[in-house]
Amino acid sequence: MPLLELEDIYKHYRMGQTLVPVLKGINLHIHAGEMLAIGGPSGSGKTTLCNLMGLLDEPSRGKLFFQGQPTAQLNDYQSSRLRNHTIGFVFQTFNLIPVLSALENVSLPLHIQNVSSDIARQRARELLEQVGLSAQADHRPDKLSGGQQQRVALARALVTRPSLVIADEPTANLDSVTAMQILDLMQQLNRETRTSFIFASHDERLLSRVERRLLLEDGQITSDLKPECMTG
Amino acid sequence: MWIEIAARNLRKNWRRSLFSIFAICIGFTAVNIFGGFTAYIFENLRESFIYGGGNGHVTVVKKGFLDQGRIDPVNYLLDETIQSSLQQQLDKLSGIAVVGRQLRINGLVSNGEVSTIFIAEGRLFSAYNAMRERARGVVSAKNYDGRRLLDSNIYEIALSEGLSRALNLTLESDGMVTAPTVDGYVNALDFKVAQVFRGAPETLDDKLLVVPLSFAQSLYDTRSVERVNILLDEDTDTQNFIRRLQQACVTAKLDVDIRSWDELSIFYNKLKNMFDILFAFIFVIVFLISAMSVVNTVSMAVLERTREIGTLRALGANRTQILRLFLIESGLLALIGVTAGLVLTLLIWWGIGESGLSWVPPIFTARNPLEVYLVPSYLMLAAVVFMSLSVIATLSPVWRANQRGIVDALGHI
Repeated sequence: MPLLELEDIYKHYRMGQTLVPVLKGINLHIHAGEMLAIGGPSGSGKTTLCNLMGLLDEPSRGKLFFQGQPTAQLNDYQSSRLRNHTIGFVFQTFNLIPVLSALENVSLPLHIQNVSSDIARQRARELLEQVGLSAQADHRPDKLSGGQQQRVALARALVTRPSLVIADEPTANLDSVTAMQILDLMQQLNRETRTSFIFASHDERLLSRVERRLLLEDGQITSDLKPECMTG
Repeated sequence: MWIEIAARNLRKNWRRSLFSIFAICIGFTAVNIFGGFTAYIFENLRESFIYGGGNGHVTVVKKGFLDQGRIDPVNYLLDETIQSSLQQQLDKLSGIAVVGRQLRINGLVSNGEVSTIFIAEGRLFSAYNAMRERARGVVSAKNYDGRRLLDSNIYEIALSEGLSRALNLTLESDGMVTAPTVDGYVNALDFKVAQVFRGAPETLDDKLLVVPLSFAQSLYDTRSVERVNILLDEDTDTQNFIRRLQQACVTAKLDVDIRSWDELSIFYNKLKNMFDILFAFIFVIVFLISAMSVVNTVSMAVLERTREIGTLRALGANRTQILRLFLIESGLLALIGVTAGLVLTLLIWWGIGESGLSWVPPIFTARNPLEVYLVPSYLMLAAVVFMSLSVIATLSPVWRANQRGIVDALGHI
């Protein structure tokens, strides 16, 4: 069973009297443990697609199944719970909570689950160690560099041991060296934990290192390069 | 964790938080100080009526007196038989401190040259003085010149300051009163001015006399009284005592009307109503100002943190958890504000007590200590109202933020 199934997905936004189509009939299957990059020019619908796959938004038309479950039937409580337990997010602008330390930011999704504070902190410490930030555990976001903040965001995305991590332009605000380090880290975690990763990016450095590449143009998938095609 | 997030956000925006805390603190203090001052006024009015006026907690009159007594006072007096029977019933009841009697009379008072009308209260001074001795606060203050009146000095009476001035009847002067007896004959009695008292209502200041009960009865040529006043040992026992006395009077077939002090004190009730309206008015204004401040603080916090709300929602927080986060924040604001208000209230209360400030209450002539009472029920009510206000003020902005889509919130700048 695929982790994510998108069947004839459309998404449009209303701007005044006009309907602006963003996604036009997307069909896609993503399996557990896959690492997928979505490329395409600005305005092609990459972020919108990521938002739909992360259950942050609802399609205007079409069906989306998460682990075989139709997401249209979920209420706010159920979709929040599903996001919390099975999906991790890494945002372009990191989106760390400014009043919390790195450790507290990482443990936040577990607190949302009402996991006990000791267990949450212990698990957050392990993740910070994995991303190489043990020494900065007590630092607030404003005391961390962009790369360090993105590592904290990555640790936060992984702390609940999700099946899927969605990263929208995760390297956009990072220099080349840091971007590659973050990418290495995600690839390593993908190999070790079999967590699926979906990236939306224009960054060719990132796209070239991912096993499955999807090209989105004008709201439609124009190419889906899977590993066998890439090697073949 | 949620409490920490809330507390840190309040600290981060400390100026704004401080403004709201200040608004709640001042509001809470204003309500309680004003409430405490009105409680002090009410308490003294109550004391003034019960102890100062010698009316006691409970008054017994003949049935129908309160409705018809003004038109036909003679037929609504308590005669000796009723008084004796009533006394027998009172002797059987516990909780009584003092029993007094009163007879109100009116007629003409003269200094030998000029006459004017008077209204007099004939009192049993042994009981009246015993009641006054139990008074606390401003009521216990002396408000007369001359000496205390006694039952044994039947022809020594007291005049209000205005009447004394009008008839030029100073202390130790002699005068005469004239009035019809209960049988309709005209009677006259000589008197000596033993006391001139202050503080009579302005409209009655040139008409009031206070006389021994025997003097009043002698002038009216009767042994009857208008009312029997009962002072109880405990203030709180009044309603219970009235029930017991009513039962005893029904058994003894006594045709009397029994009323509590608050049913008879028209001035107290009028003033209390006025102060209650004032208090409600001030409470609403203070409440609105504090509410606006909290609404502003929470709205600003929600607006500034829309993106944070989006992030929390993306991480899996549901709408209830977002609401809880902001409720904790506003609850903390209110808690700190109310605690600061409580401290400020206690400081002002202590300061007023220590400062020795004094004032002249409306119906008094001497300066009396200014007091503000601490009223636990007001403190509790204000705390509950301000806490509830903060919760209510939070609901609308957070509800609006929660209605935004997550993507919309994440894109908020």
